[in-house]
Amino acid sequence: MVVWAAVLLFVLYPLGRLLVLVFWNEGPSLDAVRGLLGDWTHRAALVNSLVLAALVGVAGTVLGFAFALLAVRGSLPKWLGRALDAVVLLPLISPPFTAAIALIFALGPRGLISYHVFGLTNVSIYGLSGTFLSETLTYFPIAYLTLKAVIANIDPNLEDSAFSLGARRRRVFRTVTVPLAIPGIANAFLLVSAASLADFATPLILAGTKFPVLPTQAFLQITGLYDMRGGAALCFLLLVPALAIFVGQRRWIERRGGSYVTVTGKLGAITRIKSLSPVAIAGLGVLCGAVALLVLVCYSLIAAASLVKGLGADNRLSFVHYAHVFSGGLKAVRDTLIIAVLCMPVGGLFAVVLGFLVARTEFPGRRALEFAAMMNYALPGTIVGIAYLIAFNDPPLALSGGALIIIACYVFRYSPTGIRATVAQLQQIDRSIEEVSSSLGAGSGETFRRVTLPLIAPAFFAGLGVVFIRSMTAISATIFLVSISWTLITVRILENMTEMALGPAAAFSVFVIVVVFVVVAGLSAVLARLRAPVAGATARSFLGG
Amino acid sequence: MASTLRLFASLLLVLIFAGPGLAQTVNVYTAWPESLSQPIFKAYTAKTGVQINFLRLSTGELVARATAEKNNPRADVIWGAPGDGFAAAKEAGIIEPYKTANIDKIPAELRDKDGYYTAVSRNTLIFMSNAKLLKEKGLKAPTSWNDLLDPVFKGQIQTADARTSGTALTRILSIYYAFGKDEEKAIDYQKKLHKNVQVYTKSGGGCTVPASLGQTMVCIAHMPDAMEAKKKGYDVVVSFPKEGVAAVIEGVALVKGAKNREAAVKFIEWTFSKEMQDLLDKNDVYMLPTLPGASIDADVQALMKEAKLLPVDLEWVGKNRKRLVDRWINEVIRD
Repeated sequence: MVVWAAVLLFVLYPLGRLLVLVFWNEGPSLDAVRGLLGDWTHRAALVNSLVLAALVGVAGTVLGFAFALLAVRGSLPKWLGRALDAVVLLPLISPPFTAAIALIFALGPRGLISYHVFGLTNVSIYGLSGTFLSETLTYFPIAYLTLKAVIANIDPNLEDSAFSLGARRRRVFRTVTVPLAIPGIANAFLLVSAASLADFATPLILAGTKFPVLPTQAFLQITGLYDMRGGAALCFLLLVPALAIFVGQRRWIERRGGSYVTVTGKLGAITRIKSLSPVAIAGLGVLCGAVALLVLVCYSLIAAASLVKGLGADNRLSFVHYAHVFSGGLKAVRDTLIIAVLCMPVGGLFAVVLGFLVARTEFPGRRALEFAAMMNYALPGTIVGIAYLIAFNDPPLALSGGALIIIACYVFRYSPTGIRATVAQLQQIDRSIEEVSSSLGAGSGETFRRVTLPLIAPAFFAGLGVVFIRSMTAISATIFLVSISWTLITVRILENMTEMALGPAAAFSVFVIVVVFVVVAGLSAVLARLRAPVAGATARSFLGG
Repeated sequence: MASTLRLFASLLLVLIFAGPGLAQTVNVYTAWPESLSQPIFKAYTAKTGVQINFLRLSTGELVARATAEKNNPRADVIWGAPGDGFAAAKEAGIIEPYKTANIDKIPAELRDKDGYYTAVSRNTLIFMSNAKLLKEKGLKAPTSWNDLLDPVFKGQIQTADARTSGTALTRILSIYYAFGKDEEKAIDYQKKLHKNVQVYTKSGGGCTVPASLGQTMVCIAHMPDAMEAKKKGYDVVVSFPKEGVAAVIEGVALVKGAKNREAAVKFIEWTFSKEMQDLLDKNDVYMLPTLPGASIDADVQALMKEAKLLPVDLEWVGKNRKRLVDRWINEVIRD
């Protein structure tokens, strides 16, 4: 009930206000939408957005799968696995403009890689190719995180059985490993495509006028042409593909339902993993190594920019930019940290509770609830920000100007990753584990606390981590919600970028990355402890099997 | 657990009700970078003790936000944003007319005829070129609009997107006036220029870093962008087209229903004092003051000798801005 009320208030109500704005012009009216379809840039933007989301979704999922496979099944030395993790996480935990700008430095017309290494002078980084590359690099870590958990949960014994039945590696991979990872793959694709559909920061810098996409177009319509109705209407156009991806993914999983249970509590001894040949591992290593190298180069450039007086003009070492972060930028730093720390537990808890309700309970409107909860994630931030601003400006809900509006925005916009993770995790866990608990006399509360909760703890911490990361790095929605009293680091970064204060922008980015890294490292330490029951051994012992 | 929850709840309550302090304050929305606006606001606080709380937003965001907040305005003054933003704000009904006591000293072409907004300063369009790249190709900095059409500049020009940037509007107006107010010729020229443009950036100053770092050869932007780059030590050259350029106004206006109206009005009055207008020079803002007799930066003065400033008809711009931008979208950038 509380969950429904929260979703109603912070997701549906603002959107409703926005709907009224779009479709009500002294009476019900479609003029705003009709005006849009007559405009060539908007038609092109719709097609481009879909193409881009599909491309980024596929490429991101493939890349994420490759990295996850290498990390889980590649028998990498521990330090290498950690290093790979760290590099892969970089784009995910850095403020949105950073990756795009770093990519221009690396691959632009006078970029470090394109010009100084390969001597190319005529590269084009703007348009589809640059946007695609940048978004793939930024969002494949989402797929990686989702798939890593899923692949780690696949019982190697299942693969062993296939081997003992005489199947070859490739066949085992195709008929056992991949099908078991399918809910994860579908999830990863959904999340990455949705992220691409809603992303406006990357196209804002890299797409240019040749490759208009919807979120950027909506942003331009509102902020450039002062046309709030048109911009809002464009965003509703975006709802259609977002909805289609979501529904399609649900159907697909359900049609094959039931066959994904990999945590049954009846696991055998863990065997050596042999589903990957050394050649395949080497191939994965080369692919992942190259991608990781590109990411590293990009971020080294950002680090360099933060440590010199003026990149390219005065390359002497200097800490003035960091001094600025902790003097002029201190308020932004403090505000951001307070907000992110408050968002983390709220977002993580909300995600797990909602995910559990959706996956494990039956009540009317369950689907609707899940869909509504995903909505703020699928919508471009600009529109969520504007909707919040309209909905929460007047009493009795006058939240604008405070921190709560920013917190609410982050929680409802970024917990869907946690919700999906919880659902995916629960789909892999056999219901009978919980049934055993109930039949032994535990109430539903106790079962949830003592059985389900430990099993979905990884999802909880993943969700928590994502909410924290996003609270530190997101900009598109909250740029409308920062106020005279509460400001955010990301907004300062954008300001610095536009006023060509590259140094402070880079220093702020590095600061954000370091903070997030520390928190994520802490979370993964917790996760590593919790991993054990899910992986099998302990689950068996506490079920007495 | 319960005590943690209680702590959390009280924290949340504080956050909900924590607003700006109660001392005398003026809340300002500005489009100027903090590095330019903050020293000016600080000078006012030092002089009067009135706290200036400000939020920096791009012009479009500023108007969108103030429009959404119309029934419960959070800002008292919009200070330092391009004239087209004020034209939109006037149309949206979020600002109210206010005429400063010094209004007669401000030239008529620098203020709205109904008194809704007045120019704080003027901002000139410039060409900014990367000196090293020019030298590599044996080129001189462009000194005519037509120079930019040379194929050697293909994929080497960056400038702003007309949908987001006031700078882009200055460019379009510059071209319109430079071609003798012949709109068809101006559109035709822009189509040709489009072929040489590498990318249109979303913010007016978006091309300054690329030009400074050699990612592009020429950047068409505003004077402060180029002067900042020079000050930072980048090797860039500033030049002007001989046909002339426009200068846009950076305005100030009183927000309708401002909660701190009295303090806001005083702040606007100070904006047009010689004291504040001199700060534009003292603080290296690199814009031209609107109050006659205020001091002008020596570098800017030297540069402005080369520039031919074309007079801009604010009323005409207000009426035709949307059409010019629409034509840019539908004719110029449509390949």
